[in-house]
Amino acid sequence: MGLLCSKNRHYAEADIEENAQAAEIERRIEQETKAEKHIQKLLLLGAGESGKSTIFKQIKLLFQTGFDEAELKSYVSVIDANIYQTIKILYDGSKEFAHNDVNSSKYVLSSENKVIGEKLSEIGSRLDYPRLNRELAEEIGELWKDSAIQETYARGIELQVPDCTHYFMENLQRLSDANYVPTKEDVLYARVRTTGVVEIQFSPVGENKKSGEVYRLFDVGGQRNERRKWIHLFEGVTAVIFCAAINEYDQTLFEDEQKNRMMETKELFDWVLKQPCFEKTSFMLFLNKFDIFEKKVLKVPLNVCEWFKDYQPVSAGKQEIEHAFEFIKKKFEELYFQSTAPDRVDRVFKVYRTTALDQKVVKKTFKLVDETLRRRNLLEAGLL
Amino acid sequence: MPMFQPSKRDGVVVAGFDGSGDGQVLDLDTAVKDGVLGGGVGGGVIGAAVGEKLDLKKMIEELDLPEIPSVFICPISLEPMQDPVTLCTGQTYERSNILKWFNLGHYTCPTTMQELWDDSITPNRTLYHLICTWFSQKYSRMKKKSEDVQERVCELLQTLKKAKGQARIQALKELKQVVAVHATAIKTVVDEGGVALISSLLGPFTSHAVGSEAIAILVNLELDSESKTNLMQPTKISLMVDMLNEGSVETKINCTRLIEKLMEEKEFRSESISSHRLLVGLMRLVKDKKHSNGILPGLSLLRSICLHKQVMSLIVSIGAVPQLVELLPTLEPDCLELALFILDALSSLPEGKEALKDCGNSIPNMVRLLMRVSESCTQYALSILWSVCKLAPEECSSVAVEAGLAAKLLLMIQSGCNPVLKQKSSELLKLCSLNYTDTIFISKCKLTRTIQ
Repeated sequence: MGLLCSKNRHYAEADIEENAQAAEIERRIEQETKAEKHIQKLLLLGAGESGKSTIFKQIKLLFQTGFDEAELKSYVSVIDANIYQTIKILYDGSKEFAHNDVNSSKYVLSSENKVIGEKLSEIGSRLDYPRLNRELAEEIGELWKDSAIQETYARGIELQVPDCTHYFMENLQRLSDANYVPTKEDVLYARVRTTGVVEIQFSPVGENKKSGEVYRLFDVGGQRNERRKWIHLFEGVTAVIFCAAINEYDQTLFEDEQKNRMMETKELFDWVLKQPCFEKTSFMLFLNKFDIFEKKVLKVPLNVCEWFKDYQPVSAGKQEIEHAFEFIKKKFEELYFQSTAPDRVDRVFKVYRTTALDQKVVKKTFKLVDETLRRRNLLEAGLL
Repeated sequence: MPMFQPSKRDGVVVAGFDGSGDGQVLDLDTAVKDGVLGGGVGGGVIGAAVGEKLDLKKMIEELDLPEIPSVFICPISLEPMQDPVTLCTGQTYERSNILKWFNLGHYTCPTTMQELWDDSITPNRTLYHLICTWFSQKYSRMKKKSEDVQERVCELLQTLKKAKGQARIQALKELKQVVAVHATAIKTVVDEGGVALISSLLGPFTSHAVGSEAIAILVNLELDSESKTNLMQPTKISLMVDMLNEGSVETKINCTRLIEKLMEEKEFRSESISSHRLLVGLMRLVKDKKHSNGILPGLSLLRSICLHKQVMSLIVSIGAVPQLVELLPTLEPDCLELALFILDALSSLPEGKEALKDCGNSIPNMVRLLMRVSESCTQYALSILWSVCKLAPEECSSVAVEAGLAAKLLLMIQSGCNPVLKQKSSELLKLCSLNYTDTIFISKCKLTRTIQ
């Protein structure tokens, strides 16, 4: 602004003012650069649907002011979309199974529900979804209860049915209310495919209130086509939080139905570990979706995934779950050491068991991550 | 001679007893200060003579003090007197000892060598009371202190049951201090269920601060079978491995020692230690030049791990072999033996042999160690050389011979070491000689500077 006005002044005065401003700008850039150095960059990486964005939302809820009403309301359309898309997938799926499967009768809907199904399938294929209302919610509910749809849902992994299905279907009445404002939990379950990069800056509040560390957390899109956008973020990262959904050992990718999700995660982790820019970066591996894993592992053996083909179950119940988990953890550790050059072996590498939807777990886990990073800083400063 | 001799009184001629460097019979000042004399403290040991005697014997034994006032000591047995009696010469002895002396036919006073003109022995009641009082005081002080310690331990354990965050860390730190200073505290902790309590603090969400303090306490306690099994849970072991990788040297050593203790349990599954993170962490500890106190515990655990065959190939795969070989010249003898044991064990695997062969310094280092440190070191070094030379005779034996192996082997054959070793040496010598003509080989057998 001052530069514009300087036209009306003497040359000398204008010069002085310009210099003063330039100096001020320089000083501010210098200050901010210094401040920037103290901000620790955390990068959330992982394959699609590994839970990165859920962790991101949790951090926002825990250490920032959370979501205000406007932000919460912005999720209404997302949740509506999730519901329409899901019921469409299920309905179309049931038709496919009814057509192709040996036990086709299992997947045949009642005639009323067929009508509903066609209607919802049409809505679900639109670009713009109508707001969920009482009538639609009831119809969706009816369809959901149909045994054919339930049978289809049981084979949900073949159809790319998202994890939030059950949660939303059970809450349809509340979600369709005219004055519906999503709860925090609803927001955590809401599923949007992240495109591009989102970031938040926060400071974890410990017992002694301000711990002094400032973190900037970046969440990126996980699907393959998104990965080229990550590259420019890799410089100067303090830690990578790599999310791996351990329940996905029997599922295939959204973007490539031939590829097993766990194998994809394995390759991605390997790739990330070898990146030159991560030479000194700490790696926090979040083995996520433990809650779903718990229920699945006793029914679906781990060896359906090629990476885990040498798994031998030893017991049953809780012990077996623990054993299976430890096996997967060891596999990842093995991968880490195989992909890590000897000069990098001193990187911090820790494995955490998480259930991203559980706020308490995320809070406790993050406390540990924070402690580790702070200790690392002290160590590097020679103070430990 | 009177009982209490003020220190200023000299000129008393008594052989041995007083006036020697050990000083006075009883220093009035300390006697009064300690309250033994008229201080009124420590009284109450006035009871039936028999009762007193029993208590006194027990107290003397339990206290086991290194410094007892010389006046309480029997000149014959040099033990504190429990039934002091005085002879006509005025010297006091333990009744049973002086009677034994008399029974042997002597009628002299042992210290003054005077012949006794009177064979009466008088019980020295005054001295007896002094002795009882003194010991009682010490005893009740010890009991009080130990009760204090016990009370403190119980308090701390109670605090631990409820405290969170900083309070928990503080309680653990204090408990660690108490256990380190007072050996009696260990028993109290165990008796009051402290082991289970502290173990329960170790879980997937345990912070490093809490975990490191807890381990520091556990490693010094007596752990029974059940506690050890409890600590072998995967999440707890995982926590220990984390701390072994990230903690201070003390924490690393504590984790190492604790894991080794757990491995003694027969229920121990080798899966628990079949972990890249553990082995890499251990190697880091072993190679730490700044903190050499970690080397011995680290190698000790590695050695225990080597007893589990399945884990050995994992050890080789993380590159431990060349790292250990490079370390050898810098190690102290006790560490050296462990390191050589480990390398020898690893050499039983094909991948271990390969790794040894590929490491340039294996052979020279091994040759240098022959007949240098101890017989077991020599044994292991020889065994390793044997494995490597057998694997690639042409390549390795020439390297070995250039490093002075032949001369060393000759030395061994001629020395007084055990026959098995000698046998092995001559076999190896034969193997090495195959690549040389006789004359050249003989020249290689001469002592060179590498051996001096």
